[in-house]
Amino acid sequence: MSRQDGTRTPKELAAWVLARAKAAGAKDCRVKASARRFVSVSYRERKPELVSEAGTRGLALEVFVDGHYAAQETPDFRTVSLEGFVSDTVDRAKITEIDPFRSLPDLDRNGIRPNLDLNLADPGHAGVSIGERHGLAKDIEASCLDQGGDKVISVEVTVYDHDYEEWVLDSKGFDGTFRGTEFWTGAVLSVRDQGERRPSVWTVAGARQRRDMPAAADIGAQVSLRALRALGASKIGTEVLPVIIENRCVGRLLGGFLGALSGRNIQQKQSFLADKKGLKIGSPAFTLTDDPFIPRALGSRLYDGDGFPAKRRELLSQGVLNDFFVDWYYSRKLGIEPSTGSMSNLVLPAGTRSLEDIIRGMPKCVLVTDFIGGNSNATTGDFSVGIAGTLYEKGEPVQAVAEMNIAGKHLGFWNGLVEAANDPWHYGAVRSPSLVFDGVVVSGN
Amino acid sequence: MTEDATALAPFSGGYFLKEFGIDEALCRKLLTKALSRGGDFADLYFEHSLSDWVGLEDGRVDRSYGSVALGVGIRTVKDEQVGYGFTQDLSEAAMLTAAATAASLVNQAPSPVAAGFSALRNGIHYPVDTGRIFIPLRSKLPVLRKVHELCTSLSPLVTNVSASFVSSVKHILVVTSDGVVAEDSAPLGNLGALVVVERDGRKERSGWNLGGRREASYYSDATVDTIARVSVDRALKLLDAVQPPAGQFPVVLGPGLSGVLLHEAIGHGMEGDFNRKGTSTYSSSLGRKVAEPFVTIVDDATVPMLSGSIHVDDEGTPGQRTVLVERGILKGFLHDRISARHYGVPATGNGRRQDFMHAPIPRMRNTFMLAGAARPGDLVKAAGNGIYVEDVANGEVRIGEGDFSFYVSQGRLIENGRLGAAIKDVNIMGNGPKMLSDIIGVADDLQMYEGGSGRCGKDGQAVPVSFGLPTCLVRSLTVGGVQAKRGNS
Repeated sequence: MSRQDGTRTPKELAAWVLARAKAAGAKDCRVKASARRFVSVSYRERKPELVSEAGTRGLALEVFVDGHYAAQETPDFRTVSLEGFVSDTVDRAKITEIDPFRSLPDLDRNGIRPNLDLNLADPGHAGVSIGERHGLAKDIEASCLDQGGDKVISVEVTVYDHDYEEWVLDSKGFDGTFRGTEFWTGAVLSVRDQGERRPSVWTVAGARQRRDMPAAADIGAQVSLRALRALGASKIGTEVLPVIIENRCVGRLLGGFLGALSGRNIQQKQSFLADKKGLKIGSPAFTLTDDPFIPRALGSRLYDGDGFPAKRRELLSQGVLNDFFVDWYYSRKLGIEPSTGSMSNLVLPAGTRSLEDIIRGMPKCVLVTDFIGGNSNATTGDFSVGIAGTLYEKGEPVQAVAEMNIAGKHLGFWNGLVEAANDPWHYGAVRSPSLVFDGVVVSGN
Repeated sequence: MTEDATALAPFSGGYFLKEFGIDEALCRKLLTKALSRGGDFADLYFEHSLSDWVGLEDGRVDRSYGSVALGVGIRTVKDEQVGYGFTQDLSEAAMLTAAATAASLVNQAPSPVAAGFSALRNGIHYPVDTGRIFIPLRSKLPVLRKVHELCTSLSPLVTNVSASFVSSVKHILVVTSDGVVAEDSAPLGNLGALVVVERDGRKERSGWNLGGRREASYYSDATVDTIARVSVDRALKLLDAVQPPAGQFPVVLGPGLSGVLLHEAIGHGMEGDFNRKGTSTYSSSLGRKVAEPFVTIVDDATVPMLSGSIHVDDEGTPGQRTVLVERGILKGFLHDRISARHYGVPATGNGRRQDFMHAPIPRMRNTFMLAGAARPGDLVKAAGNGIYVEDVANGEVRIGEGDFSFYVSQGRLIENGRLGAAIKDVNIMGNGPKMLSDIIGVADDLQMYEGGSGRCGKDGQAVPVSFGLPTCLVRSLTVGGVQAKRGNS
């Protein structure tokens, strides 16, 4: 139904563009219209430093013309602009070479889209006032300042939220709608250290619903503790040690591994895991699930980028590789069945012991609380990354460590996963507990 | 108004007047709204960007992606506080709403808008034909095919080639409440290849790209030839590469590409916002010795055709050359208008933003160290046993501590003062200020990075940059690896 002012709703706009693209010569096409409204409030020195609020919109069009393919996106919804945009996209497709693997997906292959309410949109979002956002930012800053003590140089706090909606239509009849809210808080605390060192530590947390966010006091306590623990950091000698990757950092470590699971990298001979399906590539503690159905979770969804119905997949079971991320296009190139082209929520199972108990039981270990730079090579499986964290001996923190590095090969490294703590991270799409790895070369002096 | 603003008729003949009807009266109305509740100044940043990416995979140029960015960002500044609104809808009503959002930060009497506007006269740092600034899709296809053909012909070990050709043009109009009008159209693009090689079951991957603020004629057969040869050569080298031992070693930074280390480990710490907030390790170092007298570092917007070159920054200050370290002394920081005012110095033209959806902050442009007097070979010899770094990637720095970590994507062992085996998949770590003071030799071979893909990320914003370096000898850095350390004779 059109709006009262006569303008098209986003879904009507998508349908109009779809029809125009067909009329312009597209054999098939897919359109996604989207809209986002956000507010961002940043505080420093107990004053607002940056306040920003706006709405954004976009329209993405993919066209398939007898094996030719092109995609374009625009925020310009004026009719005359969209007419040119559609014909230009079709013309661009005709210029590219024929690719026999390009087509809209055959969506019947992957079952029926589940009819679930995952509670991804907070019904109270529209009622959150600008004053409440300022209040939250102030409270987090105050908590950081109170708990950071006289070492604090600066606290920067950002509170952000948005309401996002998309409408996807394709010429084979796919009709998908997604709506989700997100709430994020971030705090960066800088403290005085020896000489000119001014360690900055950060924390970021996100959730679909406001009630799932951590309390302001907890954010302040966490970032203050981290900042004070970072004081006096130095490197230690190169040594083989157990290393614990803190829950919120696991996503970055896992990122290098995930690249090798992508259908594109497999087809393009750029994956060290291409021939490892069905083989044991990690320890029995390494189970990894892609779960799109977690209520109120940031990565949850009912359909993927191809429009395939969402499905829970155990990518690794007790160290055995079961599945890849293969979208429709690369499934055709590889001659295999598609799974999904992108992750939703990645879940690693939690263990039974607390992080503190695990550390207490170790003679010596490094708790990694941040990664710096580095690289993970999806083709070879080699990785090398800088770390920051704390050295523990007999359960006690001995010193903060910096300017250090861990390196290895993913294929061997994940065999060293010996335990997971009972502290799964809930504030991101990678939901992992802290992970304990044995026998890691920690490079320093 | 800046000294560079002249009496050129503002707005007349401008891109945004012609395409979108953005005239002086409208801009005055928006600025008046943005300052309706007070503020020190306000500015408007109109953007219309067009970008076009074409890719080759499995021997076919079979994919094309295009995108358009259109909108205006409106900023109200009071002391060091910023109110910001933007809209993709260039109707007057939508823009006034964005201006009201920007104004909402302050609650005082209205502030005035300058009585008159003057157009900023741009330098010419990317002298391309504005009529041919956008490279047509059709002309990119044969170029990509040539890249593929050449890469596959150079070695039987090449098992896969992918290539891409991206080009964009960004039209901007900046209008400030103190009367500056600046308009620019900046091209940016690159042509790149990624090659997989395989021998005896071992696979390696590498690539190369060239580009910058250039027009179509740059992407000639000679450019294609360089990209293909360097891509294949870099990948083949990795087949014989070893992981170096872990520990502390002298490090020779090769010319050109290693400059990204200068950008990350040192340049970011000299950005004005970190320093005015006291969170940079350089916050108290202005005027002090931070390096040996043969070290001079600049950030320069005026180097022709490089990705970081700009005629005007995103808040209306002319692009210029800024000295950071002069003969070992820290002389200044990189400023946007807010940090310049904090320090009581002129803005340096470093106020940049990713797009109209973001407020500007101090960012680098083309950052490099000037050439020294040493010979590159002598620095390698002086290193004894160590690491020679040819290219680094994925660098990251902790601004407050100065600690950094970089992945060495191309490099060599140095053994007894000579270049040895290629190395791979290793990180080097150190502390920016310590590394700067530990530079004990600078050679006479300054090279700039001429790829078009250099992007710097900060606060969620990516902007195009470039960098450069002459060969430098650093007394010691930490090398991360998986082997035991060797002795240094």
